[in-house]
Amino acid sequence: MGRIVGGFATSHVLFPPAGVEAQAERVLQGMLAIRERIRALDPDLIVLAGSDHLNTFSLAMQVTLAVGVADAYTTLGDGGAPVATFAGHRAFAEGFVRFAAGRDFDLVQVEEVRPDHGMAIPRMIADPANRIPVVPVYINANMPTPPSPGRCYRLGGVLKEFVEAERPADERVVVLGAGGLSHWLCLPEQGRVASAFDEDFIARMISGRASELAALSAEDILNASGNGGLELTAWLFMAGGAPDAVGEKLYYEAIPEWISGMGGVSLIPRETRA
Amino acid sequence: MTRAPYRIHKLIQDLMRDPAGAAAFARDPEPAFEAYGLTDEEKALLRDGSAAALHRLGVHPNLQMKYGRLRNPPPAAGASAGGPLAAYLDRLMEH
Repeated sequence: MGRIVGGFATSHVLFPPAGVEAQAERVLQGMLAIRERIRALDPDLIVLAGSDHLNTFSLAMQVTLAVGVADAYTTLGDGGAPVATFAGHRAFAEGFVRFAAGRDFDLVQVEEVRPDHGMAIPRMIADPANRIPVVPVYINANMPTPPSPGRCYRLGGVLKEFVEAERPADERVVVLGAGGLSHWLCLPEQGRVASAFDEDFIARMISGRASELAALSAEDILNASGNGGLELTAWLFMAGGAPDAVGEKLYYEAIPEWISGMGGVSLIPRETRA
Repeated sequence: MTRAPYRIHKLIQDLMRDPAGAAAFARDPEPAFEAYGLTDEEKALLRDGSAAALHRLGVHPNLQMKYGRLRNPPPAAGASAGGPLAAYLDRLMEH
Protein backbone atom coordinates (compact mmCIF):
# COMPACT_ATOMS: atom_id res chain seq x y z
CA MET A 1 0.00 0.00 0.00
CA GLY A 2 1.01 3.57 -0.60
CA ARG A 3 0.88 6.17 2.12
CA ILE A 4 -0.01 9.80 2.53
CA VAL A 5 3.12 10.85 4.37
CA GLY A 6 2.24 14.47 4.92
CA GLY A 7 -0.33 17.17 4.32
CA PHE A 8 0.28 20.86 3.85
CA ALA A 9 -1.82 23.91 3.12
CA THR A 10 -0.94 27.42 2.08
CA SER A 11 -2.28 30.62 0.65
CA HIS A 12 -1.69 30.71 -3.08
CA VAL A 13 -0.76 34.32 -3.78
CA LEU A 14 1.99 36.78 -3.01
CA PHE A 15 1.94 40.50 -3.68
CA PRO A 16 4.66 43.14 -3.72
CA PRO A 17 6.18 43.72 -0.29
CA ALA A 18 6.03 47.53 -0.42
CA GLY A 19 4.66 48.80 2.88
CA VAL A 20 4.39 45.35 4.47
CA GLU A 21 7.98 44.21 4.13
CA ALA A 22 8.28 42.32 7.40
CA GLN A 23 5.00 40.48 6.96
CA ALA A 24 5.79 39.66 3.34
CA GLU A 25 9.10 38.17 4.39
CA ARG A 26 7.46 36.03 7.09
CA VAL A 27 4.94 34.78 4.53
CA LEU A 28 7.71 33.88 2.10
CA GLN A 29 9.68 32.13 4.85
CA GLY A 30 6.57 30.17 5.79
CA MET A 31 6.14 29.08 2.20
CA LEU A 32 9.78 28.07 2.00
CA ALA A 33 9.36 26.08 5.23
CA ILE A 34 6.63 24.11 3.48
CA ARG A 35 9.08 23.43 0.66
CA GLU A 36 11.73 22.16 3.08
CA ARG A 37 9.30 19.89 4.88
CA ILE A 38 7.97 18.43 1.63
CA ARG A 39 11.51 17.84 0.44
CA ALA A 40 12.37 16.03 3.69
CA LEU A 41 9.41 13.68 3.15
CA ASP A 42 10.81 12.72 -0.27
CA PRO A 43 7.41 12.19 -1.93
CA ASP A 44 6.90 10.26 -5.17
CA LEU A 45 3.87 12.35 -5.99
CA ILE A 46 2.05 15.49 -4.87
CA VAL A 47 -1.74 15.76 -4.93
CA LEU A 48 -2.36 19.49 -5.25
CA ALA A 49 -5.86 20.69 -4.35
CA GLY A 50 -7.05 24.17 -5.18
CA SER A 51 -9.26 26.29 -7.34
CA ASP A 52 -9.23 27.63 -10.84
CA HIS A 53 -10.23 31.30 -11.13
CA LEU A 54 -12.55 31.02 -14.15
CA ASN A 55 -9.57 30.73 -16.44
CA THR A 56 -10.04 27.17 -17.73
CA PHE A 57 -13.33 26.39 -16.03
CA SER A 58 -16.15 28.83 -16.69
CA LEU A 59 -19.71 29.67 -15.87
CA ALA A 60 -20.72 28.03 -19.16
CA MET A 61 -20.33 24.66 -17.43
CA GLN A 62 -19.89 24.97 -13.71
CA VAL A 63 -17.57 22.16 -12.67
CA THR A 64 -16.89 22.00 -8.94
CA LEU A 65 -14.82 18.86 -8.28
CA ALA A 66 -12.42 17.68 -10.97
CA VAL A 67 -9.15 15.80 -11.30
CA GLY A 68 -6.42 16.49 -13.82
CA VAL A 69 -5.57 13.21 -15.54
CA ALA A 70 -3.14 14.57 -18.14
CA ASP A 71 0.47 13.48 -18.56
CA ALA A 72 1.73 17.06 -18.30
CA TYR A 73 0.49 20.58 -17.64
CA THR A 74 1.60 23.99 -18.78
CA THR A 75 0.66 26.77 -16.39
CA LEU A 76 -1.21 29.87 -17.47
CA GLY A 77 1.43 32.35 -16.38
CA ASP A 78 -0.86 34.63 -14.38
CA GLY A 79 -0.32 36.02 -10.90
CA GLY A 80 3.34 36.62 -11.63
CA ALA A 81 4.19 32.92 -11.89
CA PRO A 82 6.27 32.28 -15.01
CA VAL A 83 4.82 29.77 -17.46
CA ALA A 84 6.11 26.34 -16.48
CA THR A 85 5.50 22.76 -17.56
CA PHE A 86 5.24 19.99 -15.00
CA ALA A 87 4.43 16.30 -15.10
CA GLY A 88 1.09 14.83 -14.11
CA HIS A 89 0.45 11.22 -13.18
CA ARG A 90 -2.21 9.62 -15.36
CA ALA A 91 -2.32 6.21 -13.69
CA PHE A 92 -2.74 7.71 -10.23
CA ALA A 93 -5.28 10.30 -11.35
CA GLU A 94 -7.47 7.97 -13.40
CA GLY A 95 -7.24 5.33 -10.70
CA PHE A 96 -8.37 7.84 -8.09
CA VAL A 97 -11.34 8.91 -10.19
CA ARG A 98 -12.41 5.28 -10.72
CA PHE A 99 -11.96 4.48 -7.04
CA ALA A 100 -13.90 7.58 -6.00
CA ALA A 101 -16.78 6.64 -8.29
CA GLY A 102 -17.18 3.54 -6.15
CA ARG A 103 -17.37 5.79 -3.08
CA ASP A 104 -20.17 7.97 -4.45
CA PHE A 105 -17.94 10.75 -5.82
CA ASP A 106 -18.36 11.30 -9.56
CA LEU A 107 -15.33 13.43 -10.37
CA VAL A 108 -14.81 15.23 -13.66
CA GLN A 109 -11.67 14.06 -15.46
CA VAL A 110 -9.74 16.91 -17.03
CA GLU A 111 -7.35 16.38 -19.93
CA GLU A 112 -6.93 20.04 -20.87
CA VAL A 113 -6.31 22.70 -18.27
CA ARG A 114 -3.85 25.54 -17.91
CA PRO A 115 -3.29 25.67 -14.15
CA ASP A 116 -3.52 29.29 -13.06
CA HIS A 117 -1.83 30.94 -10.08
CA GLY A 118 -4.04 28.94 -7.71
CA MET A 119 -2.08 25.83 -8.63
CA ALA A 120 1.08 27.29 -10.19
CA ILE A 121 2.30 29.23 -7.15
CA PRO A 122 1.82 26.38 -4.65
CA ARG A 123 3.49 24.00 -7.09
CA MET A 124 6.43 26.36 -7.40
CA ILE A 125 6.62 26.50 -3.60
CA ALA A 126 6.49 22.72 -3.26
CA ASP A 127 8.82 21.68 -6.05
CA PRO A 128 10.55 24.50 -7.89
CA ALA A 129 12.66 22.14 -9.99
CA ASN A 130 9.61 20.25 -11.33
CA ARG A 131 10.96 16.90 -10.18
CA ILE A 132 7.81 15.50 -8.59
CA PRO A 133 4.68 14.57 -10.60
CA VAL A 134 1.58 16.48 -9.53
CA VAL A 135 -2.05 15.39 -9.67
CA PRO A 136 -4.23 18.51 -9.61
CA VAL A 137 -7.53 18.14 -7.75
CA TYR A 138 -9.80 21.06 -8.55
CA ILE A 139 -12.06 22.23 -5.76
CA ASN A 140 -13.67 25.16 -7.50
CA ALA A 141 -15.03 26.97 -4.49
CA ASN A 142 -15.74 30.05 -6.61
CA MET A 143 -18.57 28.40 -8.53
CA PRO A 144 -21.99 29.90 -7.80
CA THR A 145 -22.89 26.73 -5.91
CA PRO A 146 -19.66 25.52 -4.30
CA PRO A 147 -19.06 22.03 -2.93
CA SER A 148 -19.71 21.69 0.80
CA PRO A 149 -16.80 21.65 3.25
CA GLY A 150 -17.91 18.25 4.47
CA ARG A 151 -17.87 16.77 1.00
CA CYS A 152 -14.37 18.10 0.34
CA TYR A 153 -13.17 16.65 3.65
CA ARG A 154 -14.73 13.27 2.85
CA LEU A 155 -13.15 13.29 -0.61
CA GLY A 156 -9.78 13.61 1.10
CA GLY A 157 -10.66 10.50 3.05
CA VAL A 158 -11.44 8.70 -0.21
CA LEU A 159 -8.02 9.74 -1.50
CA LYS A 160 -6.37 8.21 1.58
CA GLU A 161 -8.36 5.02 1.12
CA PHE A 162 -7.36 4.87 -2.55
CA VAL A 163 -3.67 5.40 -1.83
CA GLU A 164 -3.67 2.69 0.82
CA ALA A 165 -5.80 0.20 -1.15
CA GLU A 166 -4.57 0.55 -4.70
CA ARG A 167 -1.23 2.27 -4.92
CA PRO A 168 2.08 0.43 -5.00
CA ALA A 169 3.86 -0.43 -1.82
CA ASP A 170 6.13 2.33 -0.58
CA GLU A 171 4.60 5.05 -2.76
CA ARG A 172 4.87 8.25 -0.77
CA VAL A 173 2.17 10.85 -1.38
CA VAL A 174 2.04 14.42 -0.14
CA VAL A 175 -1.23 16.37 -0.27
CA LEU A 176 -1.05 20.14 -0.59
CA GLY A 177 -4.21 22.24 -0.24
CA ALA A 178 -4.00 25.76 -1.62
CA GLY A 179 -6.03 28.92 -1.16
CA GLY A 180 -7.48 31.13 1.60
CA LEU A 181 -7.46 32.35 4.18
CA SER A 182 -10.14 35.00 4.71
CA HIS A 183 -10.59 37.44 1.88
CA TRP A 184 -13.43 39.22 0.17
CA LEU A 185 -12.58 39.49 -3.51
CA CYS A 186 -14.43 42.14 -5.54
CA LEU A 187 -17.07 42.52 -2.86
CA PRO A 188 -17.88 45.65 -0.82
CA GLU A 189 -16.00 44.13 2.16
CA GLN A 190 -12.78 43.81 0.13
CA GLY A 191 -9.81 44.59 2.37
CA ARG A 192 -11.38 43.07 5.47
CA VAL A 193 -9.38 40.23 7.05
CA ALA A 194 -11.12 37.95 9.57
CA SER A 195 -8.01 37.15 11.58
CA ALA A 196 -9.89 35.60 14.52
CA PHE A 197 -11.63 33.18 12.15
CA ASP A 198 -8.35 32.43 10.38
CA GLU A 199 -6.45 31.77 13.60
CA ASP A 200 -9.21 29.51 14.90
CA PHE A 201 -9.30 27.63 11.59
CA ILE A 202 -5.56 27.06 11.73
CA ALA A 203 -5.65 26.05 15.41
CA ARG A 204 -8.30 23.42 14.75
CA MET A 205 -6.53 22.17 11.62
CA ILE A 206 -3.27 21.50 13.43
CA SER A 207 -4.80 19.95 16.55
CA GLY A 208 -6.66 17.13 14.85
CA ARG A 209 -10.00 18.95 14.88
CA ALA A 210 -10.49 19.53 11.16
CA SER A 211 -13.65 17.41 11.27
CA GLU A 212 -15.25 20.23 13.27
CA LEU A 213 -14.45 22.64 10.44
CA ALA A 214 -15.82 20.15 7.94
CA ALA A 215 -19.16 20.39 9.74
CA LEU A 216 -19.46 24.06 8.73
CA SER A 217 -21.64 24.85 5.73
CA ALA A 218 -20.26 26.66 2.71
CA GLU A 219 -22.44 29.58 3.72
CA ASP A 220 -20.91 29.60 7.23
CA ILE A 221 -17.42 29.88 5.75
CA LEU A 222 -18.54 32.43 3.16
CA ASN A 223 -20.12 34.65 5.80
CA ALA A 224 -17.19 34.39 8.20
CA SER A 225 -14.28 34.59 5.79
CA GLY A 226 -15.51 35.89 2.45
CA ASN A 227 -15.75 34.37 -0.98
CA GLY A 228 -12.00 33.81 -0.98
CA GLY A 229 -12.23 32.08 2.37
CA LEU A 230 -14.23 29.35 0.68
CA GLU A 231 -10.93 28.22 -0.83
CA LEU A 232 -10.30 26.69 2.60
CA THR A 233 -12.31 23.73 1.31
CA ALA A 234 -8.99 22.70 -0.31
CA TRP A 235 -7.41 22.68 3.17
CA LEU A 236 -10.23 20.45 4.35
CA PHE A 237 -9.67 18.05 1.46
CA MET A 238 -6.06 17.80 2.57
CA ALA A 239 -7.08 17.30 6.21
CA GLY A 240 -9.49 14.55 5.19
CA GLY A 241 -6.52 12.67 3.79
CA ALA A 242 -4.73 12.85 7.16
CA PRO A 243 -7.53 12.42 9.69
CA ASP A 244 -5.36 11.44 12.65
CA ALA A 245 -2.68 13.99 11.96
CA VAL A 246 -1.55 16.86 14.08
CA GLY A 247 0.63 19.59 12.79
CA GLU A 248 2.15 22.97 12.93
CA LYS A 249 1.29 26.51 11.99
CA LEU A 250 4.04 27.53 9.59
CA TYR A 251 2.90 31.10 9.12
CA TYR A 252 -0.04 33.43 9.54
CA GLU A 253 -0.24 37.09 8.70
CA ALA A 254 -3.32 39.27 8.37
CA ILE A 255 -2.45 41.63 5.52
CA PRO A 256 -5.28 44.02 4.60
CA GLU A 257 -2.96 45.59 2.01
CA TRP A 258 -3.05 42.24 0.21
CA ILE A 259 -6.79 41.98 0.98
CA SER A 260 -6.13 38.60 2.58
CA GLY A 261 -5.31 36.51 5.58
CA MET A 262 -2.20 34.59 4.61
CA GLY A 263 -1.31 31.30 6.22
CA GLY A 264 0.14 27.84 5.97
CA VAL A 265 0.18 24.65 7.99
CA SER A 266 1.65 21.17 8.02
CA LEU A 267 -0.16 18.00 9.09
CA ILE A 268 1.90 14.93 9.77
CA PRO A 269 0.07 11.59 10.09
CA ARG A 270 0.82 9.32 13.04
CA GLU A 271 2.65 6.72 10.93
CA THR A 272 5.00 9.37 9.56
CA ARG A 273 5.70 10.75 13.03
CA ALA A 274 6.43 7.30 14.41
CA MET B 1 -25.47 39.41 -3.86
CA THR B 2 -27.38 39.68 -7.10
CA ARG B 3 -26.20 37.65 -10.05
CA ALA B 4 -25.60 39.19 -13.42
CA PRO B 5 -27.60 37.88 -16.35
CA TYR B 6 -25.61 35.19 -18.10
CA ARG B 7 -25.28 37.30 -21.27
CA ILE B 8 -22.91 39.60 -19.36
CA HIS B 9 -20.83 36.72 -18.07
CA LYS B 10 -20.85 35.20 -21.55
CA LEU B 11 -19.57 38.43 -23.07
CA ILE B 12 -16.62 38.48 -20.67
CA GLN B 13 -15.86 34.77 -21.02
CA ASP B 14 -16.07 34.88 -24.81
CA LEU B 15 -13.70 37.85 -25.04
CA MET B 16 -11.20 36.11 -22.71
CA ARG B 17 -10.85 33.44 -25.39
CA ASP B 18 -10.86 35.80 -28.40
CA PRO B 19 -7.75 38.03 -28.60
CA ALA B 20 -8.97 39.89 -31.70
CA GLY B 21 -12.37 40.47 -30.16
CA ALA B 22 -10.73 41.62 -26.93
CA ALA B 23 -8.55 44.12 -28.81
CA ALA B 24 -11.60 45.52 -30.60
CA PHE B 25 -13.48 45.67 -27.28
CA ALA B 26 -10.68 47.63 -25.63
CA ARG B 27 -10.93 50.21 -28.44
CA ASP B 28 -14.73 50.40 -28.48
CA PRO B 29 -16.99 48.20 -26.34
CA GLU B 30 -20.26 49.40 -27.87
CA PRO B 31 -20.50 46.84 -30.72
CA ALA B 32 -20.04 43.98 -28.25
CA PHE B 33 -22.62 45.46 -25.90
CA GLU B 34 -25.05 45.49 -28.83
CA ALA B 35 -24.14 42.01 -30.01
CA TYR B 36 -24.84 40.52 -26.58
CA GLY B 37 -28.19 42.28 -26.32
CA LEU B 38 -27.44 44.27 -23.19
CA THR B 39 -29.99 46.69 -21.80
CA ASP B 40 -29.27 50.41 -21.56
CA GLU B 41 -28.79 50.11 -17.79
CA GLU B 42 -26.38 47.21 -18.18
CA LYS B 43 -24.40 49.09 -20.82
CA ALA B 44 -24.19 52.16 -18.58
CA LEU B 45 -22.91 50.12 -15.62
CA LEU B 46 -20.38 48.31 -17.77
CA ARG B 47 -19.18 51.63 -19.27
CA ASP B 48 -18.77 52.86 -15.70
CA GLY B 49 -16.83 49.68 -14.89
CA SER B 50 -16.21 50.62 -11.25
CA ALA B 51 -16.26 47.98 -8.52
CA ALA B 52 -19.56 49.38 -7.31
CA ALA B 53 -21.09 49.25 -10.80
CA LEU B 54 -19.93 45.70 -11.46
CA HIS B 55 -21.10 44.60 -8.03
CA ARG B 56 -24.49 46.17 -8.69
CA LEU B 57 -24.72 44.17 -11.88
CA GLY B 58 -23.79 41.05 -9.93
CA VAL B 59 -20.79 40.21 -12.08
CA HIS B 60 -18.89 37.22 -10.71
CA PRO B 61 -15.85 38.46 -8.74
CA ASN B 62 -13.32 36.58 -10.87
CA LEU B 63 -14.95 37.94 -14.01
CA GLN B 64 -14.95 41.49 -12.60
CA MET B 65 -11.17 41.30 -12.58
CA LYS B 66 -11.08 39.98 -16.13
CA TYR B 67 -13.51 42.67 -17.27
CA GLY B 68 -11.20 45.32 -15.85
CA ARG B 69 -8.33 43.93 -17.90
CA LEU B 70 -10.50 43.76 -21.03
CA ARG B 71 -11.41 47.42 -20.69
CA ASN B 72 -7.88 48.50 -19.77
CA PRO B 73 -5.42 45.90 -21.01
CA PRO B 74 -2.20 45.88 -19.00
CA PRO B 75 0.95 46.58 -20.99
CA ALA B 76 2.53 43.39 -22.27
CA ALA B 77 5.42 42.51 -19.99
CA GLY B 78 7.10 39.38 -18.79
CA ALA B 79 6.26 38.24 -15.29
CA SER B 80 9.84 38.80 -14.23
CA ALA B 81 9.70 42.40 -15.32
CA GLY B 82 7.47 43.54 -12.53
CA GLY B 83 4.72 41.06 -11.81
CA PRO B 84 3.44 40.57 -8.27
CA LEU B 85 6.05 37.88 -7.57
CA ALA B 86 9.03 39.88 -8.80
CA ALA B 87 10.43 40.50 -5.31
CA TYR B 88 10.35 36.79 -4.48
CA LEU B 89 11.06 34.95 -7.72
CA ASP B 90 14.75 34.39 -7.15
CA ARG B 91 13.97 32.54 -3.95
CA LEU B 92 10.78 30.85 -5.16
CA MET B 93 12.50 29.36 -8.18
CA GLU B 94 15.62 27.25 -8.19
CA HIS B 95 18.17 27.99 -10.83
